[in-house]
Amino acid sequence: MKVQNDVMKTDDLIGSLADEVAPVRRLLLPPVRMVIWLSLSLPWIALVVWYIGLRPDLMLRLGDGTWLVEQSLALLTALTAALAALCVSVPGRPLWERILPLFPLGLWIGTIVQGCVQSIAAGGSWSSLIRMDWSCLPHIALLGIGPAVVMIALVRKGAPVAPYVTIAYAALAATALAAFGLRFFHGEDASLMILVWQLGSVALLTAACTLFAERLFPWRIATPR
Amino acid sequence: MEAEKEARHLEALMEAAQKGDSAAYAQLLKAVVPELRRYARAKWIGTIDPEDLVQDVLLSLHSVRHTYDPARPFMPWLGAIFRRRLVDLQRRHIRKARNEVVTDTLPETFSDDETNWLEEGQGDPELLRTAIASLPAGQRKAIELLKLQELSLKEAAEKTGMSISALKVAVHRGMKSLKQTLRA
Repeated sequence: MKVQNDVMKTDDLIGSLADEVAPVRRLLLPPVRMVIWLSLSLPWIALVVWYIGLRPDLMLRLGDGTWLVEQSLALLTALTAALAALCVSVPGRPLWERILPLFPLGLWIGTIVQGCVQSIAAGGSWSSLIRMDWSCLPHIALLGIGPAVVMIALVRKGAPVAPYVTIAYAALAATALAAFGLRFFHGEDASLMILVWQLGSVALLTAACTLFAERLFPWRIATPR
Repeated sequence: MEAEKEARHLEALMEAAQKGDSAAYAQLLKAVVPELRRYARAKWIGTIDPEDLVQDVLLSLHSVRHTYDPARPFMPWLGAIFRRRLVDLQRRHIRKARNEVVTDTLPETFSDDETNWLEEGQGDPELLRTAIASLPAGQRKAIELLKLQELSLKEAAEKTGMSISALKVAVHRGMKSLKQTLRA
């Protein structure tokens, strides 16, 4: 009897939902939304870089293979993380999309770690390899705030079926793009410094955003009248 | 072959529902409810009625129906929503159970009528009655059951057929409207 009663109530809910169903604008495909994110985020990065000023040796860096590889991998990490965040916020998409950013991220970290190993093997005191540089964290936060706001706005249009993964990738996309922008004005290229201060800032800010995943990306359920 | 045909049918219904086709939407929801109910009964751990989970999934589906891509299968899309809502509701249920104390008799100060008299001479009861009457049906019902009759969320959900989350939202909105009306 109880079961039958519940069935009837669910039927009433179905009736209410069907009565008030209105046409909806379908979500654009994740790659299109990623392009929208990039086209809104890059001007912000360019503005901050322009405001702080390009590093004097930029032309020299553009001819440096290691610098170019590290920058390409930072950008690729940002793009794949953005795509993954937008894919994960759509229910029922394939799992491989979730692990895609781990490849460029692994390569990016691997390249920098390799540089660290080489510089440690070459000798020299630790003080010449690493020193305090607190400017990276606020710079990455400043550069990343624009891309992060746009990305959160875009993912919130989706469904929070995996809020922690979504927000983690959204934050990684914003901070990796910020780390990419940082090296256009920040003249620090020592691998150990990049690993600790730049990648450290990326990891710290990503983890901080992920802690607030359920608040940043909650279910917004409309009840029938 | 039959399953594939059924899957195509559900995808077509969902596509029509996204365009605002009420009949297709009702048909789709009715078609998926038995499956949801079966999964809810199999997966649910706790004392709350699994039907509450089914209703929550229907409300969640409704609020994110724009995320469905007709080029992709429908059931994995619905399955992802179901799994997330199951986790959310179970987590909420465990959190609530941890903080609730079951008691046979409610604490009472003194049994005399004077000490349990709710009317403190503040506010205008007639104005409040009118304000409640002017609320939309769903909100009015939620206020009446939860605030006036002081039913628990579970009891109110059983009485109205609304899910607990739907009741929470309705009572929140109702209280907000009442505050605005009484302040004006």
